Amino acid sequence: MNPLALLLTLSSVMFALGLLAVLTRRNAILILVGIELMLNAANINFIAFWRYGPPDLEMAGPIFVLFSIAIAAAEAAVGLAIILMVFRLRRTTDLNQLDSLHG
Amino acid sequence: MSKDNIPLWSPEHLPLLPQRLVEMILANLGAPEWLVSISGFMVAASTVLAVFMTAFALLSLIERKTLARAQNRIGPNRAGWFGILQPVADGIKMLTKEDIVPARAVKLLHLLAPILIVLPAILALGVIPYGREWTPVPLELGLLFFFAVGSMTELSVFMAGWASGSKFPMLGAMRAISQMVSYELPLIITALGVVMVSGTLSLPEIVQQQGGGFWHWNVCTPWGIVAGLLFYVCTIAEANRCPFDLPEGESEIVAGHMTEYSGFKYALFFMGEYLGLFAIAGLFVTLFLGGWQAPLPGLGLVPTWLWFFGKLALVIFSYLWIRATFPRLRIDQLMRFAWLCMIPMALLTLPAAAIWHYMGRGPLSWMVVLPLVLVPWVLVAVIFNKRLAPATRTYRFADG
Amino acid sequence: MASLLILSPLVLLAALGAVWMARPVHAALLLALALALNAVLYLAMGADFIGLVQFAVYVGAVAVLIVFSLLITRQSDETEEIARRPKALVPGLLCTLPVLAVLLITASKVPAASDEAPALPLKKLGEILFTTHAPAVLAVAVLLTAVLIGAALFARETKPNDP
Repeated sequence: MNPLALLLTLSSVMFALGLLAVLTRRNAILILVGIELMLNAANINFIAFWRYGPPDLEMAGPIFVLFSIAIAAAEAAVGLAIILMVFRLRRTTDLNQLDSLHG
Repeated sequence: MSKDNIPLWSPEHLPLLPQRLVEMILANLGAPEWLVSISGFMVAASTVLAVFMTAFALLSLIERKTLARAQNRIGPNRAGWFGILQPVADGIKMLTKEDIVPARAVKLLHLLAPILIVLPAILALGVIPYGREWTPVPLELGLLFFFAVGSMTELSVFMAGWASGSKFPMLGAMRAISQMVSYELPLIITALGVVMVSGTLSLPEIVQQQGGGFWHWNVCTPWGIVAGLLFYVCTIAEANRCPFDLPEGESEIVAGHMTEYSGFKYALFFMGEYLGLFAIAGLFVTLFLGGWQAPLPGLGLVPTWLWFFGKLALVIFSYLWIRATFPRLRIDQLMRFAWLCMIPMALLTLPAAAIWHYMGRGPLSWMVVLPLVLVPWVLVAVIFNKRLAPATRTYRFADG
Repeated sequence: MASLLILSPLVLLAALGAVWMARPVHAALLLALALALNAVLYLAMGADFIGLVQFAVYVGAVAVLIVFSLLITRQSDETEEIARRPKALVPGLLCTLPVLAVLLITASKVPAASDEAPALPLKKLGEILFTTHAPAVLAVAVLLTAVLIGAALFARETKPNDP
């Protein structure tokens, strides 16, 4: 099996797992776990194409991953801060119970 | 430099002796090349480990003796002359104790946590340059590697606290994590200043650039003294030592995340803590105190690793002294100090280091950079003292 | 190649655990494991710098943050057990499987890879990062500053109604 296909398969399955977590989890923090998995799946693709794809002299893959990691860290911090605020107001992180705009 | 023309017995190469003896013997026996290099590597790693295990045993005695001296006591003096066998006695006691796992503990994580505390400390010790010829693993990304494995400690502390299934470990772990996260920021930012000036992440190279007398050490530059001081404070906090030893403040939360551990696992925590202390103090020596460089030129006869360990001993002695002198902080004071004082000051060292890098060494750059770091330093100190200090405490019941 | 073959299933197993575990803390710890193995995967591919940064940022910061907020928001042991939504599983799979199928079909169509390992020289990476991509670096810097201040404000605001 060629390594690029292997890595792309890995990242596809990982992305799907992340998506599944986002769709099926109730706890808001665990949804964030799913989002992190999806972001990582994308990062694997960047590195895989840099390593096994056509020659990449400008190193776009690694640089994109660096930005992605920085932004993912910011996203996690903001997301968790929001979840903590919600928790302080409503005493829960269960998304099913956060339905006051439900009409 | 080829391996053959190094004198085997010179004091400079003494720490490499076991590795090279093993390699020579194996090569003469006709072992394949990969086996030779792997065994050589294993022996080199064991050398470092043996040195620091001995240092750990000695330090546990010296610490108790120093504290005893500071508190006008005698300290351990029963096991052997001057208590020299005390570490052995402690070790035997630890190993023969019953290993208790609480009923509510998560068994696997409870077992993994002490191992995962020791592992990063050992890995971090591997990249530090101990002498001109003695860097166990000379990585190009050494500093980044150090911080990457060091960041694993937080997770293992959490595992210890959570897997114990008990209140005090949980509280201790939460304190420890918030403290380590807060103090890791200024730690890394001040180290970044060094990286900017030396233009490399490789620790041997950073030490190489500080050669030629103590005035070339990073701590003897205007930005470096500020960064070095901040880094020093952060190393104490990262090593969970007094006055930042809240995570295991015995008078408040028993022993923090280690409360539910006994026997060998507790010994592992103890070991991990001291190895981590050696690693982070060694990094401080490497980044700011010139690593293995001699303080004055013309001292070439002394093997360089002696300088490193001398400086390390001084830094660690200062930790002991601080532990004997300062009272423990409160958790809100600790966090406020990190976020309102340490981090802004650490960020200020970055532009100072950049200016120093581009202006070069000289009286003019001293005149520009020194005010840049000194003025905010004084300002922050004044503001911190006036506005942010805790309000005067009122003693509701003890007054009058 | 051999290291990739060994590492990939491990990464997937850890990720599966992170998605499937009922207790949130177990899920978060398995996420940390998956991210750490991911970093090892980068190291195995020769992207040393990226692997170490991944380790420091994800394992050292993001996983710790997630675990820490799980602790803060924990109320009792029984709320831990309802992390999953059994009813959502079927629609979730219905949404996920087509995405997975499309991704896998695309992945199977990539041409055979070139196996010459490109180098990741740190100096050059830095030069490209701070010349060609300087505006992006500035934007990220502004973003991170905003996040820092924002998080500090979030933490401050809740002080008055502290129970």
